[in-house]
Amino acid sequence: MMRARMARVTFQSLILKLQSFWAERGCIIETPMDLEVGAGTMHPATFLRVLGPEPWNVGYVQPSRRPADGRYGDNPFRLGKHYQFQVILKPSPLDVQELYLDSLRALGLDLTRHDIRFEEDNWESPTLGAWGVGWQILLDGMEITQFTYFQQAGGIDLAPISAEITYGLERLTMFLAREASVFDIHWTPGVSYGAVRKQDEYEFSKYYFEMADIDVHWKLLDIYEGEARRCLDAKLVLPAYDWTLKCSHVFNTLDARGAVSVTERVGVIKRVRDLALRCASQFLEARKELGFPLLQQASNG
Amino acid sequence: MADYFFELLTEEIPAWMHDTAAATLRERLSALSADVTVSTTPRRIVFLLKNLPLREEDREQEVKGPPKKSPEAALQGFLKKQNATTEDIIPSSDEYIRIRKKITGRDTAEILSVRIPEIVESIRWPKMMRWGNGEHTYIRPIHSVISLFDGEHLPIAIFGTESGNITVGHRTLAPKSFPVKSYNDYVTGLELACVVVDPQRRREVMAGRARALANEVGGTPSVDASIWSQWQYLTEYPGVVRAEFRSEYLALPEEVLVTVMRVHQKQLPIRDRNERLTNSFLAVLDNEGDPDGNAAYGNSFVTNARFADAQFFYETDRRRKLEERLEQLSHLQFQEKLGNYLDKTKRVERIARGILDDPDIATAARLCKTDLVTEMVKEFTDLQGHIGGIYAREEGLPENVWQAIYDHYQPVSLEDTLPRNIAGAVVSLADRIDTLVGFFSIGAKPTGSKDPFGLRRAAQGVVQILLNRDKREVKTTVSRLIALGEEAYGVSVSADLQPFFAERVATILEQSAWGFAYDEIRAVMEAQWADIPLTDVVDRIAALNAVRDAPDFLSVLDSAKRIQNITEGHGDPQVDPARLEHPTEVRLNELADTVASQVNELIAQRQYRQALESFAAMAPELEAFFKDVMVMVENAAIQYNRKSLLVKVAWIIRPIADVTTIVVDRRDYRA
Repeated sequence: MMRARMARVTFQSLILKLQSFWAERGCIIETPMDLEVGAGTMHPATFLRVLGPEPWNVGYVQPSRRPADGRYGDNPFRLGKHYQFQVILKPSPLDVQELYLDSLRALGLDLTRHDIRFEEDNWESPTLGAWGVGWQILLDGMEITQFTYFQQAGGIDLAPISAEITYGLERLTMFLAREASVFDIHWTPGVSYGAVRKQDEYEFSKYYFEMADIDVHWKLLDIYEGEARRCLDAKLVLPAYDWTLKCSHVFNTLDARGAVSVTERVGVIKRVRDLALRCASQFLEARKELGFPLLQQASNG
Repeated sequence: MADYFFELLTEEIPAWMHDTAAATLRERLSALSADVTVSTTPRRIVFLLKNLPLREEDREQEVKGPPKKSPEAALQGFLKKQNATTEDIIPSSDEYIRIRKKITGRDTAEILSVRIPEIVESIRWPKMMRWGNGEHTYIRPIHSVISLFDGEHLPIAIFGTESGNITVGHRTLAPKSFPVKSYNDYVTGLELACVVVDPQRRREVMAGRARALANEVGGTPSVDASIWSQWQYLTEYPGVVRAEFRSEYLALPEEVLVTVMRVHQKQLPIRDRNERLTNSFLAVLDNEGDPDGNAAYGNSFVTNARFADAQFFYETDRRRKLEERLEQLSHLQFQEKLGNYLDKTKRVERIARGILDDPDIATAARLCKTDLVTEMVKEFTDLQGHIGGIYAREEGLPENVWQAIYDHYQPVSLEDTLPRNIAGAVVSLADRIDTLVGFFSIGAKPTGSKDPFGLRRAAQGVVQILLNRDKREVKTTVSRLIALGEEAYGVSVSADLQPFFAERVATILEQSAWGFAYDEIRAVMEAQWADIPLTDVVDRIAALNAVRDAPDFLSVLDSAKRIQNITEGHGDPQVDPARLEHPTEVRLNELADTVASQVNELIAQRQYRQALESFAAMAPELEAFFKDVMVMVENAAIQYNRKSLLVKVAWIIRPIADVTTIVVDRRDYRA
């Protein structure tokens, strides 16, 4: 009975349900960042919007590229690119955990018949100068969501505090659909995730691990960094942040390629971090100059 | 008499923080009540203070006022301030006016309403956070507060959250809120709402269920206190579920399986009657049961996924031998100024050969760090050493070698076991000495409570290994080990490192089961402790410990102290027999020669107790000397010669211990 009902869960039905759930609770439904990022947190709709006093409620899907996690499409659990559904609630409402549990109910889960636990899992990103406190949320022993109360971003202490909810979409679908391989879940009935994505996983694994030209990528890092600095000097923070994200992805590529030594790693992380920190403080400055427009709107109702 | 009951409802507090927080609360609350109960669940902090009086007792207090000769206005001002009248003035013997003041006891409710928020808000959690508008800092956001005194609501606020008498049940099983009249009412109400307040009871329920579930598959749960202390704070409604992983994974090394389950998944492996791992395991559940098998499915799912990864790493790793990985170590930094792991490996091998030149030891030393570049250790870092050992075993390397690699991070604590063979002990010593000498050479020695590189523990491990005297005993000394490290780096650190070791040795010996006193340890370590095996240091302390209360020895100690005072600054033990005048000093000189040769012979045979006793046997002669012979005579040559005689006597025992530092309790000394 259970099996039959759960089998109908598809990847896209999950996305649609989460979007409408959070839209109904007042979130902007954003679109994914249109550059390569390692996590939904790097989307400007999170990293930059959690700064400053303006309220911000948003939800979006984010394809997240982690070159080193690629397995040529051979591993049923690991992907070089996976999809997150990211929610930011700022300021964090007191009933945020209840809201989250309601979102699971909206996906069709009867929580009285499952085990849900919030286990400590804090988050830190040296590259973004950011850290937060929170949990991994376990559904029947399996991590399906990361929950973080952001404390700092871009080296800046945050107030108000944002709650970040990051659903692992493939994991959640696999579990709900009782599939043992990510490639067997259905994107939509009749079309499997593997049919859509397996070639992608293979080709990018091949590229990131074997093909990516190391010299070219080191040069790209210099070029992107230079462009980011030029934008920062010209007070164009959003383009600067785009170039910063590109630096970050180039670094991840070099890392997957095994081209970054321990000493170099520290150096590159510092270069990206310096950019991210400058972006954060300039973004805050820019919003201040604009008079924190979202704050006005909130008070006007 | 009345009870006070408090509940703080928050969000899930990390499991590892509960015990300490509860202990802190218990201690601080004990100032308010002699009968304190503190319980916590993942998201509740609950306490009950029993048998509180309704009011503090009235009491009287003396208050000092202005001098008696002050003008009247000063007195009136004082009385007014103290809310007293001239009738309260009491006779005083000094020049100040004193009054006896009656202090009316405060209502307990008033005290509690101030103290409870102070106590609760001031808990310092290991990792604090802010939430919402970010104005407060605590372990997790605060949702509600119950505060009841003598059956009534006693209004307080915790970080702005006003108290009430409402709580809620289990997050998903019984989320409704309900009012509470008393602590008992609360505990019963929550029990019906799927929350067991007492953590000990949750643990017992889970332990019972774990045994029953394991028994169903003919096994027993692994013994693991750390899992239990986590599980009890991961659930409000205690439950356990049994799940299985695919049996093909049993072919993976057991250490990997156990680490994945215990450390990564917080699961408890089930072992069969022969202590062999089975493919069944137990997982915690915040629910009484698992009616649809969802939790069993989920736990199997994740564990299989983890093991699939581990199997991938295992197969990838085994395509390359450890020996072939040495080159890769040059890409892995040990410390910026101390080079990479290949550099370290070369030094460790050199030091190990210096300790004991043996081909198996050299091989183990050369390969001991190669697992750092395996996929398995990159993923499961706490298995470093073990993975190398397992791979070495599978490559068919000799038992001595693979066990040495496997064990070389041991001992990690005072309680930990030592490497199981001498090769492991030597590699462990070499690795630690390399780290210690290296970090000391770049000025990174620990200061105060800061020891980011774990150097105290590294030195402690060296001491533990050197103290061992079974078949794995390594015959070397601390100064020899330091010298080997210094040679490997081409540096000189012993001036700092040897005293650092002295502290560790003293600390470990003092805490050891031998029951040595601090002054005994210090007396022996004043001698050249670092140049002799630590096992000899222990024997010497034990000898001193055994003889220190013997009357002769006490007498000789007393004499030694007198000698030290008299001969301050005199460092010549050469006695001129021609200048000995008094028969007593002639006798003492002859005795000193005899005893000195006896003592030296006994030291050579490591008969330290007999050596000390032989020295102590000089007591009567020494006493006679001090009675019959005057040292500080006018004739400088005679005085010099007598001092030399005393120095000669005192130095007889110096190779074993500096007995002048022994503390003598005078009351024990014979009349």
